[in-house]
Amino acid sequence: MPVAPSLYNAAVKRPWLMSMLKPLAGWYANAAGYRQMGLRADDLILEENETVLKALSRLSPKESYDRIYRIRRATQLSLQHKLLPRAEWTKPEEDVPYLSPILEQMAIESKEKAALDTLTILKKH
Amino acid sequence: MICRPALSRGSQLALRRQGAAKLAQRGFAAVASPKASYEPTTIAGVKVASRDDNGPTTRLAVVAKAGTRYEPLPGLTVGLEEYAFKSTQKRSALRITREAELLGGQLNAYHTREALVIQANFLREDLPYFAELLAEVVSQTRYTTHEYHEEVEHVIHAKQAKLDAAAVALDAAHAVAFHTGLGEPVYPTPSTPISSYLNENSVATFAEVAYTKANIAVVADGASETGLAKWIEPFFKSVPAQSESSSLSTSASKYYGGEQRIARTSGNSLVIAFPGAALGANQPEIAVLVGLLGGESTIKWSPGFSLLSTATAAAPGATAKATNLAYSDAGLLAIQISGAAAAVRKAAEKSVKALQAVADGGVSKENLVKAIAKAKFNLLSGSEVSGTGLVHAGANMIHGGKPLQVAETVKALEGVNADKLKAAAKTLLEGKASVAAVGDLHVLPFAEDIGLKV
Repeated sequence: MPVAPSLYNAAVKRPWLMSMLKPLAGWYANAAGYRQMGLRADDLILEENETVLKALSRLSPKESYDRIYRIRRATQLSLQHKLLPRAEWTKPEEDVPYLSPILEQMAIESKEKAALDTLTILKKH
Repeated sequence: MICRPALSRGSQLALRRQGAAKLAQRGFAAVASPKASYEPTTIAGVKVASRDDNGPTTRLAVVAKAGTRYEPLPGLTVGLEEYAFKSTQKRSALRITREAELLGGQLNAYHTREALVIQANFLREDLPYFAELLAEVVSQTRYTTHEYHEEVEHVIHAKQAKLDAAAVALDAAHAVAFHTGLGEPVYPTPSTPISSYLNENSVATFAEVAYTKANIAVVADGASETGLAKWIEPFFKSVPAQSESSSLSTSASKYYGGEQRIARTSGNSLVIAFPGAALGANQPEIAVLVGLLGGESTIKWSPGFSLLSTATAAAPGATAKATNLAYSDAGLLAIQISGAAAAVRKAAEKSVKALQAVADGGVSKENLVKAIAKAKFNLLSGSEVSGTGLVHAGANMIHGGKPLQVAETVKALEGVNADKLKAAAKTLLEGKASVAAVGDLHVLPFAEDIGLKV
């Protein structure tokens, strides 16, 4: 699991469950407080490990710059014990995953590598 | 202590090996009726040249008209070459490598001035797998950003660092001889500003133009015609027939000639080049002249008796060799000399004198016979052993010519006489030469000093 354990895929398959959980999820993301500091959910991924560092190196220069800007702004807000003005909060439609797709891709790659490293060859003779 | 299954397994393997040896024998025996030339055909709109000697291995290559001559921006050919066998829509680069390893195949991508070659060498029965792989590389490579930054870029820098004085000199000679097109360096030097042109997007755009059915040829050496007919059609279906956006810039080559001198701290090299024979041009005397000039010794413990080796014998530490670099519409007869600066200077003087002697007094009968034999050997071993035949066949196909007809060319070589050779040498020396000196310029001579017109 590259990012965090999630039941998202299970919920997507069941529309009734999705319609029940969606408002709850929206409320939770707002209550978590990162949007009030101008961050996105993917900004919260711990970067102190090899995989995430490599994924960060694969971001485009623009994405990378924006990420650093958001984090520095949030750090400053945290020091000042302030929140952003309401107009500058991260909107739900802006809160898109930009790092976790890369992490998932890398997880698939390493899984494939492990599988190829440990494969058993069945000879026909 | 040795368990029985292990023993019986050994004997099984030994039996299998015997079988394999027999297969190989059968393969060589079948060459009693040799097919030295590639047979051109078209399968489902793809140009195919094939030759089958029933051997146990196959060499299959996609030859694309995407050499440095046709690149719209500097460095794109090199980028496209490095992107070969990287991840595609269907599988990752790692999987491609591992699967090829498991099948005992070799994957290789390289380029010449005119062609980009993506080649796979493998066991005969694996043709379907590798035909699919090559088609996939050509039509479905993803050209990802992270592969460019993590792999392609590093490999290009490593290869640039390996360029020696001889390679730089040959590139410089091409530059003065042909200016643009064929004059583009075959590998950009570290000081060539390619970073502003070369990135994954420009490579992907170039690939769209380069990898089209009109622009590629599939060359198979050692694959059965039925196998090719069966497998090329389904796999190469996804290759577009023609690029929608743009076409390659192709202008005819023109010979200019001139002199280029580049200072360099390590290594010395001097290239003296003259207009040579193009691919498929009927100029057997150039090939014989190359055989006469020679240079590289073909026997052990002796410099040999060709004109260039006798010339370099007086300048110990220098090596000289003559080659005819043949392209689709032009050729370059190049004498490459490298070694210590003083020795290179001396060898260059002697080499030009040797050529002058041919132009003035012709050649002895004995030397002529030797030169023709050497030219024949160069032609036949080149098309058979070193795989240049594969590239030439592909290059001919993509330029609309027919593959090299070995038997006819050999006959033409035999028809060369001393007068023709003398006349050829004379025209070379009277025309403009292309001279490139790389290394210690204080010692290396100017073209005029060694008696050449530039």
